[in-house]
Amino acid sequence: MKLEKDQLVKFYSLMVRTRKLDNLMIEALNSGRMAGFYHAGPGEEAVGIGACTFNMRDDDYLYPHHRSHAIGFTLARGISPKGWVCRHFDKNPGEVEGPTAEERGIFGISGTIGGGFPLSLGWGITAKKNGKNQAVLSFFGDGASGRGTLHESMNMAAIWKLPIVWICENNQFGQFMPIKDAFAREDIADIAAGYNMPSAVVDGQDVLAVHEAVEVAVQKARAGDGPSLIECKTYRMRGHAEGVPDVDHVDPRSEKDKEAWRKRDPIVLFKENLIKQRILTAEEVSKIDKEADDEVAELDKYQQECPVMVPSDASILDVFLYAE
Amino acid sequence: MKEITYVQAIAEALAEELERDEKVFCIGEDIQTGTFGATAGLVKKFGPDRIMDTPISETAIAGAAVGSAMTGYRPVADFMFADFMYIAFDEILCKAAKWRFMHEGTQQIPVVFMAAMGGYLGLGAEHSQSPVSYYMHTPGIKVVVPSTPYDAKGLMKSAIRDNNAVVYLYHKALLGSTGEIPEEEYLVPLGQADIKREGKDVTLVATGMQVQFALNIAEQMKDKVSIEIIDPRSLEPLDIDTIVKSVEKTGRAVVVDEDTSRCGAACEISMQIVEKAFDYLDAPVQRVAAKNYPIPPGAMEKFVLPQPQDIIDAVEAVMG
Repeated sequence: MKLEKDQLVKFYSLMVRTRKLDNLMIEALNSGRMAGFYHAGPGEEAVGIGACTFNMRDDDYLYPHHRSHAIGFTLARGISPKGWVCRHFDKNPGEVEGPTAEERGIFGISGTIGGGFPLSLGWGITAKKNGKNQAVLSFFGDGASGRGTLHESMNMAAIWKLPIVWICENNQFGQFMPIKDAFAREDIADIAAGYNMPSAVVDGQDVLAVHEAVEVAVQKARAGDGPSLIECKTYRMRGHAEGVPDVDHVDPRSEKDKEAWRKRDPIVLFKENLIKQRILTAEEVSKIDKEADDEVAELDKYQQECPVMVPSDASILDVFLYAE
Repeated sequence: MKEITYVQAIAEALAEELERDEKVFCIGEDIQTGTFGATAGLVKKFGPDRIMDTPISETAIAGAAVGSAMTGYRPVADFMFADFMYIAFDEILCKAAKWRFMHEGTQQIPVVFMAAMGGYLGLGAEHSQSPVSYYMHTPGIKVVVPSTPYDAKGLMKSAIRDNNAVVYLYHKALLGSTGEIPEEEYLVPLGQADIKREGKDVTLVATGMQVQFALNIAEQMKDKVSIEIIDPRSLEPLDIDTIVKSVEKTGRAVVVDEDTSRCGAACEISMQIVEKAFDYLDAPVQRVAAKNYPIPPGAMEKFVLPQPQDIIDAVEAVMG
């Protein structure tokens, strides 16, 4: 499917908003006005946004990963970022307009790496049983390739031809461990052959390339032709989490590598492409950037005005614990 | 009423619920054949899409069950041996037990994790455990342990209909035991203890196989001591009120549990008796459980698993 101009503009706008929300959290945590932890992902926006924005139906299922705490996925699925922003500041967003995460098939992010594989398998079973051509998009980082849950889940999905698209966002680092020392082959996509499953390796800095590869895999899934694996090569620009050492094992990570990847920033690449192809003018791009800045400032203001996230009493915990 | 075996009762409950609700399905290793018979024959009636045989992949079985439960189905995941559930603890103790809570009650996870537990068959350390304490210890997941065919059927039907994660552990040594159940449909609610035998001198709390030991001992000792046997049937939720009420009457309590003694179910129940009925106790509460060793194979298991004589000794100890 050839994308229309407004779709291309949407890709750009979503990536810019994702970057700016990422930056808001980095600033808030480092300045001490937010507690907790944050796993930033600047430079990786093209993967989630390229994959999810135009390839998913409302009733599809999505397992995002933890980087940028899934804000790119949230925006790509048309979910308001108000809840996302407020929860980071331990604020109660109140009633938020638009669909909830559950209504867009997002049920959470596992606190354990690789915990998403078996759950995605379950959603694949649901999709197949429902018989409505739903698809599951299940993301994981390169580090998760070490988990046995990957093997068990990919094998069963392949045996049963479940409509799952496994998408590896290979940013080349686990917490402090480079994937070159954690995986025996160059491409994680190679494991697909062991499950008799098609695979592709794509440039994770190219939002259109990601979109196109995932589109093919999603169509296969909906047609009942089973799962696929797509590996998107990207690069983690910051440390695993804000405030933790940014190292390769124990030594600082290569500045040379970072500089090379910085030149391949997915937002800059796509912006230049849009201008070069005369889809947008430089002025129009600046306008989108400015709108994103305003929106993020507005969200920050909104969370500051929201009450803290403490319910009036602890009895609510019983409601959380068990369903009736 | 009709007579039925314990394992047939489980199979009957599964068949009835599969028939009643098309969202129910079973998933596990070799369940079409059914290693212990609990799922045997179901595939003939319900087909392989609802009685799903899997590779040896416990984490995927458990996680897939949780995922499908979140999205509208009511899976029963079978792990064959309770010992094998350890492999899938992230899926069972985190995903199934915590995701509703983590997401503030926006999710329902109606999943049953079933497995055969228990010793007395000489099967060794990794095929004989009764690991009830892990589930009892973890907030957000229920755990039931049937001791009779009646309870086995009624608890399974309630577990499947419950909108939460329920661990259903049935005892391997009871598979062929028989009992009467009604011809018509019935349920055994979760969280309701059953007084298996009335008495006035000692409250004896026991689950699973230990209930059978207790019943024999109570009969054997009836001329000396009147034993009241309470089977909690579900350990979470735990019907502590029925236990406390009995202790208020008898003034003495023995708690029996096949799981390892240290931090086990007997430990928790005993402490709750002490907290809630201390003033009624005429003697310290006695605990009988597996000793703090792995379960040895063959005849050596008698050194570790609770024996009828241990229960008799405990009853005599509280009687003074």
